[in-house]
Amino acid sequence: MKLKLTWLMTLFMAFVMQFSYAQEKTVTGTVTSEADGLPLPGVSIIVKGTSRGVQTDFDGNYSIKASANETLVFSYVGNKTVERLVGSNSTISVAMAEDLGVLDEVVIEAYRTSTAEKSNIASTTITAKTVEARPNASFAQTLQGQVAGLNITTGNGQPGGDSTINLRGVSSLSGNTEPLFIIDGVPVDEDNFRSLNPNDIESLSVLKDAGATAIYGNRGANGVVLIKTRRGSYNSGLKINYIGTTAFSTLQNHDYNLMNSREQLQLEKDFGSGFGATLSDAELAIRAQQTNTDWLDVFFGTGLTQSHTLNLASGGENINSFTSFGYTDQEGILKKASTLKRFNFRSNISGKSSNDKFNYATSFTLNYSESNEPNSIGSGAINRNFVLGANQSVPYISPASYIPGEGGNIPVVFANTPLFLLDRLDTYTRREDEIKIIANVNASYKITDNLTFRTSFGGDFTDEQLLRVESPISFNAQLFAATGDNTPGFSDQDSRRSVALNFNNSLTWSKVFADKHSLEVSLFTEYFKAHRRSFGFRQLGFDPATFSPGDGAAFVNDNANDDNYVDTGRAVVRDAGLFSYFGFVDYDYDSKYGFSATVRRDASYRFSASNRWGTFWSVAGRWNISNEAFMEDSIFDQLKLRASYGTTGNQRIVAVAGQFAYFAAPDLTEDFFNTGGQYGGVNGLTQGQIGNNDLKWETIVQANIGLDFALIDNRLRGSFDVYQRNTEDLFINTPISPALNGGVTGLNANVGELQNSGFDVELHYDLFKSREEDGLNVTLNLVGNYNKQEIISLGAGGDQPLIRRVGGVIGELFVAPYMGVNPANGNLLYLDINGNLTEDLTTADQRATGKNVFPDYQGSFGFDADYKNFFFTTQFNYTIGVDRSDFDLQGFLDPTAIGQFRHSRDILRAWSQPGDITDIPSLNATNASDEFLSDRNIRESDYLRLRFIQFGYNVPKKVLDKIGFTSLRAFVSGENLVTWSKWRGFDAEALGASQNGYPTPKTYSVGIEFGF
Amino acid sequence: MRNIYKLLSVCLVFTVVSCNDAIEIDQPGRLGADNAFQSVGDLKSGLLGAYNFLDTTSDIGYTAAVTDESFRGRDNGGQNSNTQNFNINSNSGYAFNIWSGNYGAINMANRIIAAAETLDRAENPDLYDHVVGQAYAIRAFSHFTILTFFSTDYTNDAALAGLLLTEPTSDIFASVARGTNGEFYTQITADLNAAASLINGTDADTSGNKFMGQDFITALRARMAAYRGQYAAADGFAASLLMNYPIANQAQYFSMYDDADFTEVIFSLERNRGDSYDGQGTAGGGWAGSLFAFIDATAGGGPFMEISRSTFNIMNGTADIRLPRAVNLADSSIDAGYVTNPNFLNDDVLIVQKYPGSDSQPLMNDLKVFRSAEMLLIRAEAAADANQLGVAAGFIKELRDARFGSPQPLPAYTSQTEAFGGILDERRLELLFEGHRWVDLKRLGNRGNRAIDRDAKECSLLAGCTLGNDDFRFTLPIPLTETTANSAAEQNPGY
Repeated sequence: MKLKLTWLMTLFMAFVMQFSYAQEKTVTGTVTSEADGLPLPGVSIIVKGTSRGVQTDFDGNYSIKASANETLVFSYVGNKTVERLVGSNSTISVAMAEDLGVLDEVVIEAYRTSTAEKSNIASTTITAKTVEARPNASFAQTLQGQVAGLNITTGNGQPGGDSTINLRGVSSLSGNTEPLFIIDGVPVDEDNFRSLNPNDIESLSVLKDAGATAIYGNRGANGVVLIKTRRGSYNSGLKINYIGTTAFSTLQNHDYNLMNSREQLQLEKDFGSGFGATLSDAELAIRAQQTNTDWLDVFFGTGLTQSHTLNLASGGENINSFTSFGYTDQEGILKKASTLKRFNFRSNISGKSSNDKFNYATSFTLNYSESNEPNSIGSGAINRNFVLGANQSVPYISPASYIPGEGGNIPVVFANTPLFLLDRLDTYTRREDEIKIIANVNASYKITDNLTFRTSFGGDFTDEQLLRVESPISFNAQLFAATGDNTPGFSDQDSRRSVALNFNNSLTWSKVFADKHSLEVSLFTEYFKAHRRSFGFRQLGFDPATFSPGDGAAFVNDNANDDNYVDTGRAVVRDAGLFSYFGFVDYDYDSKYGFSATVRRDASYRFSASNRWGTFWSVAGRWNISNEAFMEDSIFDQLKLRASYGTTGNQRIVAVAGQFAYFAAPDLTEDFFNTGGQYGGVNGLTQGQIGNNDLKWETIVQANIGLDFALIDNRLRGSFDVYQRNTEDLFINTPISPALNGGVTGLNANVGELQNSGFDVELHYDLFKSREEDGLNVTLNLVGNYNKQEIISLGAGGDQPLIRRVGGVIGELFVAPYMGVNPANGNLLYLDINGNLTEDLTTADQRATGKNVFPDYQGSFGFDADYKNFFFTTQFNYTIGVDRSDFDLQGFLDPTAIGQFRHSRDILRAWSQPGDITDIPSLNATNASDEFLSDRNIRESDYLRLRFIQFGYNVPKKVLDKIGFTSLRAFVSGENLVTWSKWRGFDAEALGASQNGYPTPKTYSVGIEFGF
Repeated sequence: MRNIYKLLSVCLVFTVVSCNDAIEIDQPGRLGADNAFQSVGDLKSGLLGAYNFLDTTSDIGYTAAVTDESFRGRDNGGQNSNTQNFNINSNSGYAFNIWSGNYGAINMANRIIAAAETLDRAENPDLYDHVVGQAYAIRAFSHFTILTFFSTDYTNDAALAGLLLTEPTSDIFASVARGTNGEFYTQITADLNAAASLINGTDADTSGNKFMGQDFITALRARMAAYRGQYAAADGFAASLLMNYPIANQAQYFSMYDDADFTEVIFSLERNRGDSYDGQGTAGGGWAGSLFAFIDATAGGGPFMEISRSTFNIMNGTADIRLPRAVNLADSSIDAGYVTNPNFLNDDVLIVQKYPGSDSQPLMNDLKVFRSAEMLLIRAEAAADANQLGVAAGFIKELRDARFGSPQPLPAYTSQTEAFGGILDERRLELLFEGHRWVDLKRLGNRGNRAIDRDAKECSLLAGCTLGNDDFRFTLPIPLTETTANSAAEQNPGY
């Protein structure tokens, strides 16, 4: 019986095949653009309901086999899709109309995609166009200003350095405040993008409201950034694309009005301190003439960047692939000490069964990077912080005074700071070699027409080798050597590895009822596990004869005479894990009304002993007003009202800067003891951690109302969202009595509430829109966010003096007003807490100001223009409402540093005799140290910056056809070229108050891109 | 189709079954508080942990900066500027370090004492007693240190000291009021009595002058009695110690600060390479010498706090061994005309070398807590208090004879004030950079008519030359972190 059936099937198949072969014919035609009548290459033509498809050639021609009862579907990005029944025609030519509404633009959502029309969420998608070929090693820097509500600050000029990313304000005091980043389905470490190639990115979608992020449960609290990398497409020939850029980075300008050699020496002489004070007028003149070093030019220089990316994409009937190779070699502006070199490889493959029921895709990227990254940046270490040397070194010392190899003989006085640092440049190694792999495989199977099973498994693997070596002949090694140690120096070598695995399975059921009701229901489970392993050692002592950084030949072993060469080892094992199950429902009625809801149950290893499970949910709805009959003749092409409300959670209790952050604070619920802490040469035992067994998630409750619109023939497009985000069960480092708790001053507990509220706006307006191919097109862009922060509650403990208060903002500055200089004695005058002038400030006079480093308004504006084959883009970023301390300026005005460091000419205005009216206090003012309790050094750091400008040329199609290219363009661009700000330092952008930090550079670049 | 369902159920089962390994994770290397003390050996480990909290570098650093002991050095980059200018507030790092370090030790002592009650003494009775006794001694010492720095008046039993804590904290969020000096003295006395009855010296690891033995207890009793003005008792305690701890001769005195001679040392805190204090003070470590210089006690060592001219001038040119011990004369550049030199900060460099380093590690030295010289000076105080001025003068002469290496004239005190003045002057030199001067002026300044005495040249660059002995800044502020969390802890007057 079974055998017979098989035979029957075969016969039937054969019959069907024969029948269809009999009817099939070749259809040809030309596809043109309706607007200008020119042929459109690359239009894809598919026989509806099959996977048979072709693309038009350079002249818009195509040829495909189809039978009379089949329908051809013509689709092309940005154009309305056209369907034609084959019928008796053997030639079908189509003029494709531009899709002004772009209504079918794909919207990437959590675990699914939707369309602009049917999406209920607040999100922004950035395409490859705005990310690729920018000279920033980390794509996070490029994103800056491009998404409303996404505040990105990079306070560090290290190539590929970590940026601080906040969506719609800072939502936590001590916890993680950065969004979840998911690359091709794999959650990745949000603090380490230096090894990834931005040119591989196809799109970046930022999910903002609760409707979009609640499905990420305890990881979605700060928004989610979904990154898709490029893939090939089916039925397309081999396409090769190359992007190359060369960039030059230099230090941004400062406005400190710094002294030259003569002025600095004269100041020292007049004040009676330092080298200048030992010179006669004649000697001083000679020295000033001989030596006038601007150490900024010595430590900083032009950083050269070269970057190459080569892509290959191709696709067959059932499989396609995308492969890319990248190489970047970037020098930071801090000479020698700061570099990034990386190699990238990516292979993305997609495949499917012929019946389209089974689909799978793999993404794999292997990256290797080598960075030289200076440490101690921002510190006051005169022998370690290169930036301190650049900023503050006195100009009357010459770099020629440093003799390589003679570092140990440099006299130890502050004025020799630059020489210590020149020696460190020469003798210190700090290198990080990193292997980063992000891999994912996902598959889906359509069990029935309505039911699909999906699975996704992926991992983020990082292996970092850190090497820090201080040469035995270096100044630092010699200086800090133990008595009698002739072979000093140290080597720290650390191997740090982490792997994070994510496994997600889902079932989706979707059906359309009565043509107008569509329903989608999904159920998911998600499993996340991460492992961190690290070990390392510190070797003390090198024999200079065989010394080479990283190699052990020169290691000196411990001996019986002294403890100079006792090595220490270290190792860490940490595990992290999450498990969740969740569901999602989406309903649409006739593309007019939509509703969706999510609910997610989450368990985190962090709360295993307290509140392991948390539940997060959201509801969202929309009304497509423009699809209503009464809107038919309105100027609106699209008008959609959205609203959502829901909760998300934050289980990352304690934010730790830098990589491997999700392993921090793994078991704060527990009390434990530490071994260690020797006394009398014997190991001791001490209280290690005071546990909080009530610990649980921070919950963010977010409401969002938004409007998406497009009007005047789609020339004005945009969206507007208002939101309110309340963080409940806010983690606060709650003060506890150090006396009662063995010296511990705080404990993380869920006690407070914080609110961020504001609006996002995004507007694009086509100022000129030409129907001609060579015409002028100009689009104006505006992206903006206003965010107001307020601490609603700090729990039973209430206000924490000089730290935070109810009604205040995060990181609030508590200072007394500085009122200027007392003309009578040159001391500083302040306002005490009662509003009276005083020369003696106490902490009781410090008061809340409402000021902090987070902006009230931030965003960007600019335009994209093209004319003939030229294109031109600008982006201006702005922030308003940022106040921070300028400790660099404080250093340049510090009289106690005369004779040691460089000064600003401003100090020449210092008060010198009774009656002087000036803004600079007496150099001998007795209450100068009170300035740190005042706002004397606090400056507005608002800025307007030409963040990006690009000008380029696309080689015309006619020329390309002759030389066999599909595209060829060349461009020049600039980053951070001009900044308008009251801030006097190098970089108005950096967060915080750090002195002698590493500023971000301005960069000029040229690039070329071609494909064939 | 059926296979797909199988596959599907396998996947779902896998994720459900394995979910527990993702959310039930015990990090390795954790010692739960409940398991910390399981044996008498664990108590001993805890005791070493308690010792590890004891540190007097903040006492030394604060006293040196706020009084006339030191002045900012050539390579000062702003260090101690607030303290030198008498600008002391509840954010003071010194106040916090003294507070938190001593309460760290008290916390560990309380945990040892409480845990001991749950253990079987019979396991090792001698070690049990010896360890628990030292826990009482540490608790007494740290409570007394808290009282010393945070009480307004040692002789007033009603004045507030710090928090009196004798049990491990049960409510970490609690607010607890400060106890009075009287309550402190009662508890310290009881703890010292308990310690005296238990400490037996049977464990070699935790005995000797780096650990709290019977002599330590006597020394603490002597100092406490002296601070309280109970001089008869103080004299007795001091006298009994002096029988076993003679005054060092010049050579012994000098090498005592190289950690090579222990003639005079009743108790010191050991500082070794590789311990938790092994590091530069400005980089989070605890080398006492790094309170004065960055690298070492030489000309190239980056001196940022130097001996003050007023103190230096007293000893300059004498045979007093305390001069070359306090100052690295060979490496200093001494400008006799500093008074008229506008560039004296650079030209007149007086390098402190009381903590030159040991174990070939520059700047790292044991911290002297009790020495017999202090006992001798306590005896002098007691005599002055009893108006036995000649006896007091005799004790001073005894000390000076030893320090100068030759017989010195007998001081002639004509009044109690003069005697106390003379004692203060001697303590200034003898206990220089050992964390006493500020306390001494507070408790005896008015009786001896002495105050902070800075050199005129130096104080021209400071907010003031001196401070009244009754000024509120002779009591440290309760740290802001304490008053923030503990609303019951009353702040000291003036802050």
